[in-house]
Amino acid sequence: MMSRTKQLMLLNRLVQAIPIMILATFLVFSLLQLVPGDVAITIAGENASEKRIQEIRELYGLNQPFLVQYGNWLVNAVQGDFGESLLSGEPVLETISRVFPNTLFIVAYAVLLSVVIGVPLGIMASSRPNSKLDGAIMGASSLGVAVPNFWLGMVLVSLFALTWNWFPATGFTSPGESFTSAIWFATLPAIALCTNGIAEVARQLRSSLVEIHSSQHVRTLHAKGLSPGAILWKHGLKNVSVNLLTVISLLFNKALAATVVVETVFAIPGMGNTIVKAVLEGDFPVVQGAVLAMVITVILVNLVTDLLYTVLDPRIQQV
Amino acid sequence: MRSKDKSVVAKGNGFTLGRREFLGLMAGTAAVASMAGPSALLAKVKDNGGTLRVGAAANPSSMDPATGGSGSDHVFLFPVFATLVDWEYDTLKAIPGLAKSWEYPDPQTLVLNIREGVTFHDGTTLDAEAVKFNLDRNRTDPRSNIRADLASVESVEVSAPYQVKLNLKAPDTSLPLVLSDRAGMMVSPSAIKKFGEDSDRNPVGAGPMKFVEWNDGDSITLERNPDYWKNERPLVDGITFRIITDSSTRLRSVMSGQNDLAYQLEGRQKPLIERGGSVEGVSGSTVYCFQIYLNHSKGPLSNVKVRQALNYAIDREALVRASMHGAGEPAYMNLPSSHWAYDADVAKLYPYDPDKARQLLTEAGYPDGIDLDMRGYNDQGSVQRQEILMAMLKDVGIRGRFKTGTISDMSAAYFARGEGDFLVSAWTGRPDPSLTYALLYAGDSYFNAGKVEPPEGLMDAIRASRSTNDIEERKKAFSTVQRIVMENALVVPLAFRQDIMAHTDKVNNLQTNLLGKPKFEHVYLES
Repeated sequence: MMSRTKQLMLLNRLVQAIPIMILATFLVFSLLQLVPGDVAITIAGENASEKRIQEIRELYGLNQPFLVQYGNWLVNAVQGDFGESLLSGEPVLETISRVFPNTLFIVAYAVLLSVVIGVPLGIMASSRPNSKLDGAIMGASSLGVAVPNFWLGMVLVSLFALTWNWFPATGFTSPGESFTSAIWFATLPAIALCTNGIAEVARQLRSSLVEIHSSQHVRTLHAKGLSPGAILWKHGLKNVSVNLLTVISLLFNKALAATVVVETVFAIPGMGNTIVKAVLEGDFPVVQGAVLAMVITVILVNLVTDLLYTVLDPRIQQV
Repeated sequence: MRSKDKSVVAKGNGFTLGRREFLGLMAGTAAVASMAGPSALLAKVKDNGGTLRVGAAANPSSMDPATGGSGSDHVFLFPVFATLVDWEYDTLKAIPGLAKSWEYPDPQTLVLNIREGVTFHDGTTLDAEAVKFNLDRNRTDPRSNIRADLASVESVEVSAPYQVKLNLKAPDTSLPLVLSDRAGMMVSPSAIKKFGEDSDRNPVGAGPMKFVEWNDGDSITLERNPDYWKNERPLVDGITFRIITDSSTRLRSVMSGQNDLAYQLEGRQKPLIERGGSVEGVSGSTVYCFQIYLNHSKGPLSNVKVRQALNYAIDREALVRASMHGAGEPAYMNLPSSHWAYDADVAKLYPYDPDKARQLLTEAGYPDGIDLDMRGYNDQGSVQRQEILMAMLKDVGIRGRFKTGTISDMSAAYFARGEGDFLVSAWTGRPDPSLTYALLYAGDSYFNAGKVEPPEGLMDAIRASRSTNDIEERKKAFSTVQRIVMENALVVPLAFRQDIMAHTDKVNNLQTNLLGKPKFEHVYLES
């Protein structure tokens, strides 16, 4: 199935991923120490006495040195035990397996929208460079890059949810439960997330296509009588596909980060909401688990992208 | 699950009867039925079933009443756990709950008579043994956050199958109301034994709702307890809480119909609620009090005249208008006006009087005013309140700079380490006022930042309020407590927060309560 070089590359990537994961969780753990606030105070409850807070620190091992705490977490995590939330006691793995699919669904939906809308726009713009259509599309996409997600989210909610009642303003249904309902709930958040993506896909595609269209081999293709559609499909898009793939994988990672804001606006039980809440409360097992899940996802996305490169362009033999 | 026949109706006189009323009519004697006119029928609660969908303000810290710590947990705990004692919504007066009555045969003994025939959701019988198990767990378990609430209890005895006797270290008549809160929420002993520490996530109580599921930061699902012991309740088939911490999003979830109601909204949202078509608002005062804590162990604040000047310098009405959009009650002492122990005379001690404040400062030896090290929190609402307060204080010659930080950091700096002269914060309130006063002003209390011995007579008056169970005598004792606190200006009360809720027109009979922790036991759904 897989060539030897590809297998090597895969192995290499997986080995590289381990120090990245350790470094990322260690960095996040260190940064958490700087966040003001004390989880022991939160656990002890409102108006708790200093004595009770001290008890809690001992009970949860929060009085141990920071490296010991991290070490304990790491040793357990390697064995597959990611601990439980310090506050609510929900096992971290359970939290992540519950909320992460929601986030992934919205991100995937947003990326899909970006491609489905961005690609035709890019092609249209590139077909007549510097025409009025091109200007309009590029102008709109500048706007798309500039518009903040949370603002657009608010506008979408007030129009489509509160005024016209087409979509729900808040909440989420898991796709496993009901796919149509999941789409209905995720549409506004996905639109809020995808504007930047649409704009980026359109701009990248346009500039790559314009470059290819003006190249000598495309002129030759025209001369030999190939139709513009065939040129675009067989030669243009095929040549820009690697570029496009890079844009899409970056989009995916960016959208993953942007969910933090969009999930708050739409009250979606996702990864972004979970991380923000856990950071504010100093609930480090949850933060660590969530960060690890995000890091793994990003590594996987990059890996898949690299593998697809070799499929799209056999000349690439990355190791 | 209940069958669909809940919607069986009998029509007559243009009134629709729910199944329970209908059956009630059939079961009752014909004479009673014919005498009960339409108004009597309307006054009865309606049981239309349906699931109440609530936009909740925070993820609970735990679903075990003993191990949780946040005041925002109660909204989830109340439906699952019946309490030994209940309270009236408007006044917080103690009324029977799982304990059908209680008495103090002598000031150091409290006898609780437990209602018979009540079972927990897992079928365990709720008897004196179960109550003793809970009280002992609450006051001794290392994981319990509420040991201090029951500190006055020496031992708990089962004196009869449905009677427990609490032997007290000192007279304490605040206990009945203590037992209306976490300490009185009864958890199934067999569930505690079965789940151990996992009882945080597996609550089994004897309340109107059974626990189904808790997804952290997302939702909590409850379903009707068909064997609930109070008549004709619960009125809904279940409650689904959606946790939405952002108050604007929470309100939007009601406006667009994903939730039936949302609580703990903010004053600035009131106009939106009032404008919003099918959405209605309910609001009412609570015991949650914004106040300035004073460290009177040092500097100018050790002088009572300076502390009084602070109290005169603040225009509380204006503060409520400007910082709470009018959705609050100006506070002149630690209890709001509808509370059973409120004293209207004490509330008149500090009208807004900047001249008087300046005069008091001069008398105290500060004709040029004073500079204070002010502390506060850094969230938007707090900063706004602090700016208004600064302007009012500056007007009478009290100057200073605010140092702000997160709630936990600033509280630790001010209360535990004694930093700063005062802290603008809040008191979340306690079911019994004697707890509030003891916790705020006792010499060794955490919240007495200067650890200054309280003025003469204060602790005696607090003890007096605990040694009688007669509500009029308790009221008198609290008047003395309040007068001593305010005459000595131990605190600067600012305003009581309102509990603001929004709901769709489907939701009926939604009421706020003085504790500010919503209960939904009377709510029914009908469009």
